[in-house]
Amino acid sequence: MATPRELTISSVMTQTLTPTIADRLRAIVGQNHVITHPDRLVAYESDGLTAYRVVPRAVVLPETTEQVSRVLAVLHGEGIDVVPRGAGTGLSGGALPTPDGVIVGTARMNRILSIDEQDRLATAQPGVINARLTEATAPYGLYYAPDPSSQSACTLGGNVAENSGGPHCLKYGVTSRYVTGLTVVLADGEVVRFGGAGTEAVPSLDLVGLFIGSEGCFGIATEIEVRLLPAPEGVRTLLGIFDTMEAAGRAVTDIMASGLMPAAVEIVDHATIVAVEASVFAAGYPIDAGAALVIEFDGTEAGLDDDADRAEQCCVAADAREVRRATSEEERLGLWKGRKKAFGAMGRIAPDLLVQDATVPRTRLPEVLARITEIGQEYDLKIANVFHAGDGNLHPNILFDRQNADELDRVEKASREIMSLCVSVGGTITGEHGVGVDKRGYMPLVHNEVELEMLRRARWVFDPNGNLNPGKVLP
Amino acid sequence: MTAGGVRLAGALEAQRERLLPCVHCGFCLPACPTYNRLGDENDSPRGRLHLMQAVVEGRLDASSDAFQTHIDRCLGCRACEPVCPSGVEYGTLLELAREAAAEARPPDMLTRSLLVVMGSRPLRGMLFIGGRALRATGIAGWAVRHLGGDGVAGTLRFALAMLAATTEAERLGRPDASAVGVAPTTDLSGAMDAGSPETVPNGEREVQAGSVGVLQGCVQDGLYGRLNEATARTLDVNGFNVRIVTRQDCCGALHAHGGDLRTARRLARQNIEAFERAGVDWVVVNAAGCGAAMKDYGVLFEGDPMEARASAFAERVRDVTELLAAVGPRRGAPVTCSVAYDHPCHLMHAQGVTSEPLQVLDAVPGVEVRVVAKADECCGGAGIYGMTHPDLGAHIGGDKVAAVRDTRADLVCTPNPGCMMQIGAGLRIEGSCGDVVHPVELLDHSYQRAGYYR
Repeated sequence: MATPRELTISSVMTQTLTPTIADRLRAIVGQNHVITHPDRLVAYESDGLTAYRVVPRAVVLPETTEQVSRVLAVLHGEGIDVVPRGAGTGLSGGALPTPDGVIVGTARMNRILSIDEQDRLATAQPGVINARLTEATAPYGLYYAPDPSSQSACTLGGNVAENSGGPHCLKYGVTSRYVTGLTVVLADGEVVRFGGAGTEAVPSLDLVGLFIGSEGCFGIATEIEVRLLPAPEGVRTLLGIFDTMEAAGRAVTDIMASGLMPAAVEIVDHATIVAVEASVFAAGYPIDAGAALVIEFDGTEAGLDDDADRAEQCCVAADAREVRRATSEEERLGLWKGRKKAFGAMGRIAPDLLVQDATVPRTRLPEVLARITEIGQEYDLKIANVFHAGDGNLHPNILFDRQNADELDRVEKASREIMSLCVSVGGTITGEHGVGVDKRGYMPLVHNEVELEMLRRARWVFDPNGNLNPGKVLP
Repeated sequence: MTAGGVRLAGALEAQRERLLPCVHCGFCLPACPTYNRLGDENDSPRGRLHLMQAVVEGRLDASSDAFQTHIDRCLGCRACEPVCPSGVEYGTLLELAREAAAEARPPDMLTRSLLVVMGSRPLRGMLFIGGRALRATGIAGWAVRHLGGDGVAGTLRFALAMLAATTEAERLGRPDASAVGVAPTTDLSGAMDAGSPETVPNGEREVQAGSVGVLQGCVQDGLYGRLNEATARTLDVNGFNVRIVTRQDCCGALHAHGGDLRTARRLARQNIEAFERAGVDWVVVNAAGCGAAMKDYGVLFEGDPMEARASAFAERVRDVTELLAAVGPRRGAPVTCSVAYDHPCHLMHAQGVTSEPLQVLDAVPGVEVRVVAKADECCGGAGIYGMTHPDLGAHIGGDKVAAVRDTRADLVCTPNPGCMMQIGAGLRIEGSCGDVVHPVELLDHSYQRAGYYR
């Protein structure tokens, strides 16, 4: 597996694109939408995971399905690798360029093509920002449920590629539950359609389901049809403050065992609280608290107060030091602040940040967190935890400085131990960020050789030459 | 590395705290008007920060086309700042990058001449005399209707349209048009000259809200004299003791944004000394761009012996709408009209002032406020962006004009002369009525009708 260190040093020489190929691409997408000058390619060397940097050979920014098809046909004919890129917010290096590959970016494919109020469906281009879809459908009383924490910036194409989740996916499920149809351009430029028109049961093998989460290795989705939900009538939000992580964990277990169906259950640990409160984003969480728990219920008004009362009782029974309840939208945002701003606050206390992503059975959370703390101590690293407690999805944030080679090495080793730990308790190596390049090396922890070969073959069906996003996902 | 690169490297190294928090999350991308239209990472805040970082690391030359083009193409609207979870101070970094870019390769003639003219009182005085003559004779308006097309003619037309847009709104206060233009004058013309501080007579209201000095500014003084007067009069009515602050100058924002930090500091020093001498409680500004720059004077002098004084000065800078909103502005007489309200970037994003201008409008009975769709997005004004980047400027400006027109309001209202000129110019070029007012102008008009000035 490629370690961050190897890739950080941009030792690999990026090849430039021959003028002929560049001109052919410009003829398709327009003069200004093919970037070939090395100085202008530097900005594309990383996505949201900056531990890795590779300058691409060129960047092409098409606007329509037809343009994507023609661009891929040209590149396929020349045997050039393609790395699809949306907003570049991914945290597993899924859009990391390859030195001889061309980035095909969807930034200009940002139109919502249709909103069908009656059938509660919308069709959008891949470059549409997740939150924009909800904004556009709000006038009809509808919204798009998957809400990655980056939803104000990440795009639907990337959400499909990563099968993205978010805080509210505890109740509502991840992207695959909402995508009903896809127009896909394959590696050779062929355009195919999977599903469509809200079909619940496809009269065949579920190709939509197979494509979602393929991390850019199967094709580029150029039209995405999604199911919309009616906006919930009401919402109740609670914040529980606990002396220990163990107590917060008990509260979560009780809430889930009691039959309640919260929309979100999120925890920030002591280290995160300290970081947030020391930053400009101070949310008013007590800095001596062991954990803070955000619980949210939504749905029809009737019953919401009952649900919130019962959750509060669970917190109190688990020795919560304090439980706050929002009485206005403003207060609600205030309770969420410490959770939502955690990522940015980390950015202020260390030059580099690796946001890890793994999933463990909910009941194993306390012991896993205790062990992660030990791992941090063993490798002398600062690790702060933020996680979707309801579904056991952990995000250990490892703080480091890229300039420090020794520290980078320890980050890599600690990451591997955390992943092994999560797998050993029955979990897996990603919850929602995808495998990308960062966790490719951990794939053998969760798949045996037979399974890996099946995955390779599935990829071969879509892209026999392996030109699409090479070096990602599969070891 | 070139000299510019070394300087930027040094400057940014000193700014590590400001640059390093960027975790490359991309939250700034959707807020950026240039990225939204071009889709190029290099034209996004994250991309520009990456280019700066590359110059610091010696991987990119500050004189390169890539650095020059993309740093120059930024509107400087700072819409990326409030959405940044790490609190990256983009505006400050942009100014340093612009300085490095300008050192590595001098900016174009138009920008350079404008900075020289604005930095010199006699030169800009002459420019504005010419401007007022073109405006008063109606030549500017005529030229907008009859000049055509692209290139130099198009740029000239846009410049004249901006000039024409500074005309006092004819339809202000319709249907009772007789009230227009009869406001008694508080003569502030001596503010730029030497002399001892004086007090402007404070109406009948008791002085309790503190003393203020009004920044006369360059464009405001040259083309929006009525706005400076309205600022003084409305503050006076609301209990502020308005003093004339002599020997003040242009705020230097244009220079700082253009990479000429040396001139920006010279002008800033002049203002700090002038307002200190006057000993006012508040330095009041009616132009968002100037206010944002003056609230950042402390940063401008970072590491300079002047820093402490500059920071103390910056603490006292307030937008006029902030002061009025803070005292809960006295209500005036009704002015029946609907206004299309647009947020200036340098008020909303750079200063975090959002509701105050609307509170000022609330004090004018009869005004129906229609907030423009995407009012938080830049109008494309950004100094002389429409002239230096005609295509992209027209694209961004065109979207704003369309959104303004969709409100079908009687007047446009926005609390910043730069935006007033940009939106007014766009409307005029389209052949629409381009009447634009500052909220304080409307309040002033309402007070005048109420008889507060008698």
